[in-house]
Amino acid sequence: MVETPGSCSGSGNEHENGARIGVFICHCGGNISDVVDVKRVADEIGKLRGVVLSTTQMFLCSDPGQGLIEQKIKELGLNRVIVAACSPTLHQLTFRRTVARAGLNQFLFEHVNVREQVSWVTEDAEAATQKATRLIRAAVDRVKHLIPLDKRRISIHPAALVIGGGIAGLVAARDLAQRGMKVTLVEKQPFLGGRVAQLHTLFPTGEDARDALKRVIEEVVSHELVNVITNAQILDSEGVVGDFRTRIRIEPRGANSQLRQRASAVAACPEQTINEFDYGLSQRKAIYMAYPGCYPPIPAIDWNVCTKCGKCLWAVGGRGINLAEQPREMVLHSGIIVLATGFDPYEPLYGEYGYGIFPRVITLQQLIRLLDPLGPTGGRLPRNDGEPTRIAFIHCVGARQIEGVNQRQPDGKVKDYCARTCCTGALHAALEIRRRHPEVMITDFYQDIRTYGRGHETYYEQASEAGILFVRYDPRHPPRVEGNPKGDSPLLVRTSDLLTGGLDVEMPADLVVLATGVVPHDISELVGMYHCAVGSDSFLLEVHPKLRPVELAVAGVFLAGSCQGPMDVTEACAAASAAASKSAALIAQAQVEMDPFIAKVDEELCTGCQTCLTVCPYDAITRDETRGIAVVSEARCTGCGTCAATCPSNAIQQFGFNDAQVLAEVKALLQGAALG
Amino acid sequence: MAKIRERYDALVIGGGIAGMQAALDLGEQGYDVLLVEKEPSIGGVMVGLNKVFPTLDCSSCICTPRMAEAAHHARIQLQTYTEVERVEKKGTGFAVHLVKKPRFLIEDDCVGCNLCELACPIDVPHEFDYGLGARRAVYIPHGNAIPQTAVLDVENCVFCGKCEKVCPTHCFDFTQEAEEVTTSAGAVIIATGLQITPMAAKKEYGGDTFVNVMNPLGMERIQSSNGPYGRVLRPSDGKIPRSIAYVQCAGSRDRSIGIPYCSRVCCMYALKQALLLTHYIHGVEVTLYYMDIRAFGKGYEQFYRRAVKEGVKATKGKVAKITEADNHDLILRVEMLDENGRVEERRHDLVVLAQGLVPGWHVGGVVDAEEAEDGFLLTPEAKVSPSHTTMEGVFVGGVAAGPKDIPDAIVEAGEAAMAAANYLERIGWRAMAGAVLGASAAKQEVVETWEMH
Ligand SMILES: Cc1cc2nc3c(=O)[nH]c(=O)nc-3n(C[C@H](O)[C@H](O)[C@H](O)COP(=O)(O)OP(=O)(O)OC[C@H]3O[C@@H](n4cnc5c(N)ncnc54)[C@H](O)[C@@H]3O)c2cc1C
Repeated sequence: MVETPGSCSGSGNEHENGARIGVFICHCGGNISDVVDVKRVADEIGKLRGVVLSTTQMFLCSDPGQGLIEQKIKELGLNRVIVAACSPTLHQLTFRRTVARAGLNQFLFEHVNVREQVSWVTEDAEAATQKATRLIRAAVDRVKHLIPLDKRRISIHPAALVIGGGIAGLVAARDLAQRGMKVTLVEKQPFLGGRVAQLHTLFPTGEDARDALKRVIEEVVSHELVNVITNAQILDSEGVVGDFRTRIRIEPRGANSQLRQRASAVAACPEQTINEFDYGLSQRKAIYMAYPGCYPPIPAIDWNVCTKCGKCLWAVGGRGINLAEQPREMVLHSGIIVLATGFDPYEPLYGEYGYGIFPRVITLQQLIRLLDPLGPTGGRLPRNDGEPTRIAFIHCVGARQIEGVNQRQPDGKVKDYCARTCCTGALHAALEIRRRHPEVMITDFYQDIRTYGRGHETYYEQASEAGILFVRYDPRHPPRVEGNPKGDSPLLVRTSDLLTGGLDVEMPADLVVLATGVVPHDISELVGMYHCAVGSDSFLLEVHPKLRPVELAVAGVFLAGSCQGPMDVTEACAAASAAASKSAALIAQAQVEMDPFIAKVDEELCTGCQTCLTVCPYDAITRDETRGIAVVSEARCTGCGTCAATCPSNAIQQFGFNDAQVLAEVKALLQGAALG
Repeated sequence: MAKIRERYDALVIGGGIAGMQAALDLGEQGYDVLLVEKEPSIGGVMVGLNKVFPTLDCSSCICTPRMAEAAHHARIQLQTYTEVERVEKKGTGFAVHLVKKPRFLIEDDCVGCNLCELACPIDVPHEFDYGLGARRAVYIPHGNAIPQTAVLDVENCVFCGKCEKVCPTHCFDFTQEAEEVTTSAGAVIIATGLQITPMAAKKEYGGDTFVNVMNPLGMERIQSSNGPYGRVLRPSDGKIPRSIAYVQCAGSRDRSIGIPYCSRVCCMYALKQALLLTHYIHGVEVTLYYMDIRAFGKGYEQFYRRAVKEGVKATKGKVAKITEADNHDLILRVEMLDENGRVEERRHDLVVLAQGLVPGWHVGGVVDAEEAEDGFLLTPEAKVSPSHTTMEGVFVGGVAAGPKDIPDAIVEAGEAAMAAANYLERIGWRAMAGAVLGASAAKQEVVETWEMH
């Protein structure tokens, strides 16, 4: 600890209104003090009226650091505390707790950001030191006007809503139900299972994907606390943590549990459409079951394709099918929400590595469907008669893209992130091909092989041992896929191989498999509804990757699985359980505590003009018709301050940010500006 | 330190970031947790790291508040400097036998004033700085340690009694002995983390003989502002290094040393350290010799690009052998993989071996859960219940279940906590905790259920 000499000026420095302010400035292990002269700042601040202590410390957030704050509050009778450190999003809560432990109201604390907003944005030590001083000086003036506040308490409705019925959503629902919580699982598709259902075996255990899935589905649907709703979409959602009301629309399934002759109904349907389950490699009927063993085990009707000809109805004698079924709406009440909306495989652009031009250029997802014994070809690959088939894999399609090299996506960006699962996925599939057809020649065009996971490296080793040829391409000059004018193989992959010092490679291929990346499933409506943060990679963005990895910034909304970023099944399930754990912790408390920074209407001053009602973005203000004044709902108000700023009669004040507090801060800031 | 009670809901073994997170998740759900750490402080590997990829947040800023949170949590009891002797099934739960190692002072009386440390005349290489700095024979583990309690290292103590004389609370007790304690718990979470591959594992690299061949954790320490040198210097002569090499996969993906797996973090920590070196030392050249760059996590590929853009050199090459020159510079024989395997000799003044991760602890004889071939705990339901071990009621989180970075370790720890909580509910270990959720559960609209076929 570096205590600034002369800064402990004792009670003589007390402010006229009795404020005894302690200012603690963090070095942040050099993050701040390498740029900001923290000692000088402490000296300057120590001279201000009301400041009883101004000091610095290496890591204020550490236990000794927090201990120092506690000790000084007690020892010097501090009644206002300022910490100048990192961003308040990181540690405001930490320090509020510290202050509370010392017996002081936690809202008599102010956090000043001198890291993200000062030391990290400039190398100019002098300017940084001045700015830090100015910000802290403003806080000193502000805290003199702070008043003790109490947290709002909202009771939590002990039920969860899980959105998305893939493996992550299922696991989250399973865990929450087993923990004793009511769960509603809402899936947009008519069937549960998500992307795992489309896989054949899972790396690295080799277990059957649909068996693993089925076990989890059984646990979920058989649990008395779980309510599964398929074929449903979220219309809107309102409320706050503890008390969400989500309106959903359930599309008519068209068939119900009375339908016994399910196969006959499907067989009778004359309408065909592209089967998305097989990534377009097969067709399905308008009334269909997504895959063998799917849940619910009841067909669904695709109304975009159905002509209501009634043939299915005839085939089953009229029982169990209702072509006139209407959509239903319902409102679900929950205390928390788990988003588990998953991913989509990257869809190559037309012509990207010949995709769309040559039918023998397919994606890894399509290959996996072809290898599936229950897939569109019964597990057979397209082959040339008599000739050993040559297969080329190209890695990093729609992943690790480079601006200026790869074509931009429709959203104007390139997919610059690694999609994490495709290396192991591709090698897993390649080895499966070799196992079934040892004569097939496989060439693997890659940049780096990223078999990082537990048990994944074995695939790489086995692939090398099995004679799979690895060609390393330069991402700035990706391989080209062309038609092959001569020879038996219809395609030609050209690139220069870095491993041989840039030798040109020309590899004939019968099948080119693009190991495509992953993109988030389109959930733009949910993003808007829950005000979700989204990263530059378009995936949902957690509050903090290490401190709060499965939470969104909106309280009570959690993230599970690959809606957050590329993940394999193990990782998605771990994330789902972690989200369940955080949800359970919240519900176990029965009440949530929320910041008291909400708006309050002065009934004397309010003229009932209703201006605030129109500006409030959260519908948190209503008009009390009998008294003719505005009333703020404590649960809904997020403390955005819009109403307080708009009220023409100055009748709305916001706790923690009242006029006196804000004006004092602004005044001090401007004063600093004039000096600096 | 509070007395160990007779019964806890859960025992968490290992107080690294994963163990702390698991304990906090259980504590927040209302379960009582005993968190046992064998070292004198919690925090694990993370508390000694400098900054963390890919955000370059300082590691302490994330880790130390977590440590404080665990220490202050009403439902978590910390038990540091304690070994787990045996965990065995007993009734519905586990009997837990612990051995508290002697600190040679009365923990509750120590106020962490440092005076003993200042008085002690003996200097010993400091484990926290991987031998690059010194500590005294009696010492507080480090500035961010929890608890801030001194520990006396008898191996090096000369019993001069100076510490005892200056201690304001007279807490020393040179006769203290290891103490056996028995307790019980309903569920167990193993979060015993990692060690890095021994520096001597690969003889060709001279990791245990050449002074300027460094351990990556030592590099974290010398990069840290609270590290032993306060800046980056090379160990042999204290000069500022100008040309630094990272040898990737030095301790993993190598059957010859018995570690065939990928350790997942070495590419990223090497890129991180390399990038930071270019910030710390003006004009430094840093080269990574790698097999594959595995920047697979969220924001990691972008970090790799940034490092290369800011001057870090990434060369696909396999280092065959390292030899030492007269001035302790190092000569690397590198097979240049992108140049047809041409062999080249490169001279650097400092080399960091990107060692892999091996288990921090082996359960053998203590907990009857099985380990897999790779030495980490076996997780038979790796896909949908990744924290389950082969022993019912015993769960695993963090690196104890295989190499991983901090974000993944934290997420998995949360998963282990959830699995343990549900196990406790299932066996009815503590009907009460479940009641919080179950009993008051409001009625919910049931729409339609389908029979499974
Ligand atoms: C050089 C290096 C740099 C790294 N940099 C980063 C980075 O920038 N970002 C990142 O995300 N990851 C990084 N990592 C990885 C990171 O260190 C790990 O992911 C993380 O520490 C794992 O946490 P853990 O709790 O599982 O294990 P640990 O941190 O090892 O904690 C395990 C704890 O258990 C204790 N323990 C062990 N056995 C017992 C026992 N029998 N009884 C009681 N206690 C026991 C140990 O003493 C220790 O405190 C880095 C790793 C290395 C080697």
